[in-house]
Amino acid sequence: MSDPINIRALAAGTRVVLATGAEAEIVSNPQDGVWLFARYLSSASDPAMVGQEDMIFAQDVVEVRS
Amino acid sequence: MTMNATRGYHPGLVDLASGQVSREIFVNDDIYAQEQERIFARSWLFVGHESQIPNPGDFFASRMGEESVILCRDRAGAVHVFLNSCRHRGMKVCRYDDGNTTVFTCPYHGWSYGTDGALVGVPYFREAYHSELDKAKHHLVEVAQLCCHKGTVWANWDASAPPFLEYLGEFQRFLDLILDGWDGREGQAELLGGVQKWIIPCNWKFPAENFSGDTYHNISHRSVDLVGVGPSGRSRRDYSELNVARKLHVAIPDRGHQTITYVLPRDHEPQAAYQNSPEVAEYFRDCEEERRRRPAANSRLIGAPGEIFPNVALLPRQPRTLAVWHPKSAHETEVWRFFFVDRDAPQAVKNFLRDYYIRYSGPAGMTEQDDMENWNYAHSASRGVIARRHPYSYEMGMGHAVEDYEWEGLRMPGRVVDLTKAQASEEPMRNLYRRWAQFMAADSWDELMTWRRNVPREALAQSEAAK
Repeated sequence: MSDPINIRALAAGTRVVLATGAEAEIVSNPQDGVWLFARYLSSASDPAMVGQEDMIFAQDVVEVRS
Repeated sequence: MTMNATRGYHPGLVDLASGQVSREIFVNDDIYAQEQERIFARSWLFVGHESQIPNPGDFFASRMGEESVILCRDRAGAVHVFLNSCRHRGMKVCRYDDGNTTVFTCPYHGWSYGTDGALVGVPYFREAYHSELDKAKHHLVEVAQLCCHKGTVWANWDASAPPFLEYLGEFQRFLDLILDGWDGREGQAELLGGVQKWIIPCNWKFPAENFSGDTYHNISHRSVDLVGVGPSGRSRRDYSELNVARKLHVAIPDRGHQTITYVLPRDHEPQAAYQNSPEVAEYFRDCEEERRRRPAANSRLIGAPGEIFPNVALLPRQPRTLAVWHPKSAHETEVWRFFFVDRDAPQAVKNFLRDYYIRYSGPAGMTEQDDMENWNYAHSASRGVIARRHPYSYEMGMGHAVEDYEWEGLRMPGRVVDLTKAQASEEPMRNLYRRWAQFMAADSWDELMTWRRNVPREALAQSEAAK
């Protein structure tokens, strides 16, 4: 289990890796510590998500790329 | 008049034929619980002012009765009022007084709602819920009716209640004395600063009754008058017009709203006021002259304390505020006081008026402290079993109100008592408790809208369509 990430500190444009292995770029951060708005860049488990915007739950973020 | 073995509300507790009101309606916990359903879940309640939420995403955490609610402007600019409670386990989704946001997120399990109330985020929606949860069924609970009137926002949980302006009836002109500019232009009021909030140990009806038009208690403000906190350094307000005005109690029987008001004679010249500041004095003189040039009937009215049923108090002038008496329990009330100024007034005028407001009103205001002492000690002295056996007296001026009151061509609505000589009456209090008892007894709004019974069917259809 990875260390928890403080998603409140993540700015728009930051790339994050999710528990599914998918990668997403943050579009906006409501600063509630629970959710991010992000666009999927890759998603091996569900390729249809690529290019889609979705709300990302904090516990699903496992790594910050940039 | 005793409670005996009867729990909760029953007819006879408010006996207006004899002018007696049982103390039980103030101190009985069962009656208080019934009030939440019968009164606060059915009445129009003041929620806030549009100037508190000017931009998309702005919100203000407010109250309706005991309920926490969110007043917010969604991303498209529409105003909403939502119950501040997550549809999953009830946690508050907004724990700030005000701010701007894209979502309201429940900190308990993370359900998240857009500013339009839609459920947009559910943790593990695909994994744990297997994408089967119908998000559309879990929208934040929204009020049944909402009305923005000259910037003020009012809401009602009951879809069968009449529209807000019909609920106000002819009392609207007295509310508008606060919301229109001092020069008579429509809807110029701006909320200045934050909302003063504090808790007092008394039933909410003590302040509601007081602001209904209790002129009899002026003696308890004697020390403030002697200090001279008023804006001209004398007394607590500028009263010079009152030497020539008619002082009235106006009560709207079928609505439960009531107020003190002063009617100026025709062609009356503005009097000196706000003498502690030449700039403020000039501003108000200019406004008063402009007001007299406008044809609106309100130009001859001077506003004074009043009450919109059930729990909103008016103070249209000196200082210009709305107060809400939020019930917390039978024995506790949370007061919120909103202070208004003319939007276009010079900053120096706003500053002067704000300082006067703070001297006068709120938990540190000298006049409001006097009032709170009266309400709080009256409440605590009415809780005992012996005290409860003895009703309060509301007999003053019974049978002396008139209808179709008119003075120098200006007609007043409702039932009116001319206080110019009488000084005081308890007609407004009787009006408040008559309406309170009607709400407690009625099972539906059909029973409460007595004014509709003689209205032609076509007009009723138009009113329903307007809703």
